[in-house]
Amino acid sequence: MIKVIASGLHSSLQDLGRFGHRDCGVPISGAMDLRSAAKANALVGNDANATVLEFMASGPILEFHEAALIGISGAIFSPKIDGQKVGMNTSISVNEGSTLSFGSPSKGMRAYLAIKGGFTSEIMLGSSSYYSGITKEAQLRKNDILHFAQSNKKSPETNRSEINTEFRFDSNEIEVFKGPEFELLPKSIQNKLKNTSFIIDTQSNRMAYWLEHSEDISAKDIITAPVQPGTVQMTPVGKVIVLMRDAQTTGGYARIFQLTKNAVDLLAQKRAGEIVSFKMIDPLFPTHA
Amino acid sequence: MSNYPTYRMFGEHAILLDWPERIDLDIHNQVFLYARFISKNFQDEIVETVIAYQSLVVYLNSETNAQLFIDTLKGRKIDISELVTKEKHLITIPVCYDPEFGPDIQKIASTHNQTISEVIERHTAPNYKVYFLGFLPGFAYLGGLDQQLYTPRRNMPRPFIAKGSVGIGGTQTGIYPIDSPGGWNIIGKTPLHLFDATQVPPSMINAGDFIQFESISRSEFDLLQIEVDSGTFRWRKEVHYD
Repeated sequence: MIKVIASGLHSSLQDLGRFGHRDCGVPISGAMDLRSAAKANALVGNDANATVLEFMASGPILEFHEAALIGISGAIFSPKIDGQKVGMNTSISVNEGSTLSFGSPSKGMRAYLAIKGGFTSEIMLGSSSYYSGITKEAQLRKNDILHFAQSNKKSPETNRSEINTEFRFDSNEIEVFKGPEFELLPKSIQNKLKNTSFIIDTQSNRMAYWLEHSEDISAKDIITAPVQPGTVQMTPVGKVIVLMRDAQTTGGYARIFQLTKNAVDLLAQKRAGEIVSFKMIDPLFPTHA
Repeated sequence: MSNYPTYRMFGEHAILLDWPERIDLDIHNQVFLYARFISKNFQDEIVETVIAYQSLVVYLNSETNAQLFIDTLKGRKIDISELVTKEKHLITIPVCYDPEFGPDIQKIASTHNQTISEVIERHTAPNYKVYFLGFLPGFAYLGGLDQQLYTPRRNMPRPFIAKGSVGIGGTQTGIYPIDSPGGWNIIGKTPLHLFDATQVPPSMINAGDFIQFESISRSEFDLLQIEVDSGTFRWRKEVHYD
């Protein structure tokens, strides 16, 4: 087991998401940056859907009460075991009694801690992803105890010396498809949306990213219709909202864009104050699969 | 409606079917039946479907090509008549309209020059249609609110509205299935748990159902709450046939 000495700013257990209950209004949740979560799991030989710990901005401090094999991927934190710097994007053996800390990221926003066997947590509606109102916990708290499963799978080779700083979230271009209401906007607003730089607002969270701008743009409300993670909404007063993994399942604002799957991961690594712009791509010819 | 639905991609792994932009029982019935048809016939290709008033999204497995799936659907004769059911569910939801639970009921009564009893009478009269669930886990979008109860949302949303609270927001009425912030005018509360994440499906009411509110006293509320908490409460779900 692992004891939480400090929770970090907002840490939560996540898997790939809670599917099959969106018709009951249940958000899918799951890791904000799915590729980094999957990578962390791969580092320790887990399945992609194994439960990982997501943390952001200021990471947790964790005390290991048993030995474990871990992997960390995503935003570039400076993980340390008992004060000694260890690498990201590599598998690491942690001894019983050791303390793992993260500090703050030099690049990116969110990182993932995978543990061999996966964290075990109550499974609600097919997923262990934290979500207030569905799971008992909404986020990690000080003194929480985290459990993980023992795995019989062969361990990957551990390598504590390699410091891999691979980071694929430098781009500020958010790739999008036209949303269902894009063509209903006047051409002038369509063009502004393509050419405007947006600043990520501080109220951005797992439910939605809010994008600030000073353009005179707006869109009429729609009859409430389905939305999903990556849907970009624009309100009648011009607020631009990108729905993220904890988003509601239906909404009444115009849906102007839909982020590509990879663009949701990218945006999840952006912080308040960073500047992003939208790049429209053709749905039949995405730039990468 | 022969040109409907329209079919469009909605991201890499979802397609959107749209009907005319109206809130209309017949349109909604088509949406509902299309969702059933697709869920029944394409289990291997899809993850799930979500409906709203006049649109339907089909979330696809990552292996399913969205454009090809649209072509498949367009080429397929979609016979929804076989799915039409004459079975209807009417679920009774007991609500206590005591001002303790309904802090805005007096304001709604005054706004519309009605007594509190008249507000309760108008609110409990209709059989409300459940169009779909969304906004919050288990939140039902209901059709059928008496026009004389239409009331704009509060200017300042409340940071906390207790689970079970019943409210009116604009032309809609609904029940908060979990604790949440909210801007609706709160007129009462039900002791029932509409959403329970330990159950599958987690929502006790579903798209296509009808619900009716039943006024209960403060003491009946307490009794029902005991039944709910002890697990002895039985939902009143009647099946009707047209």
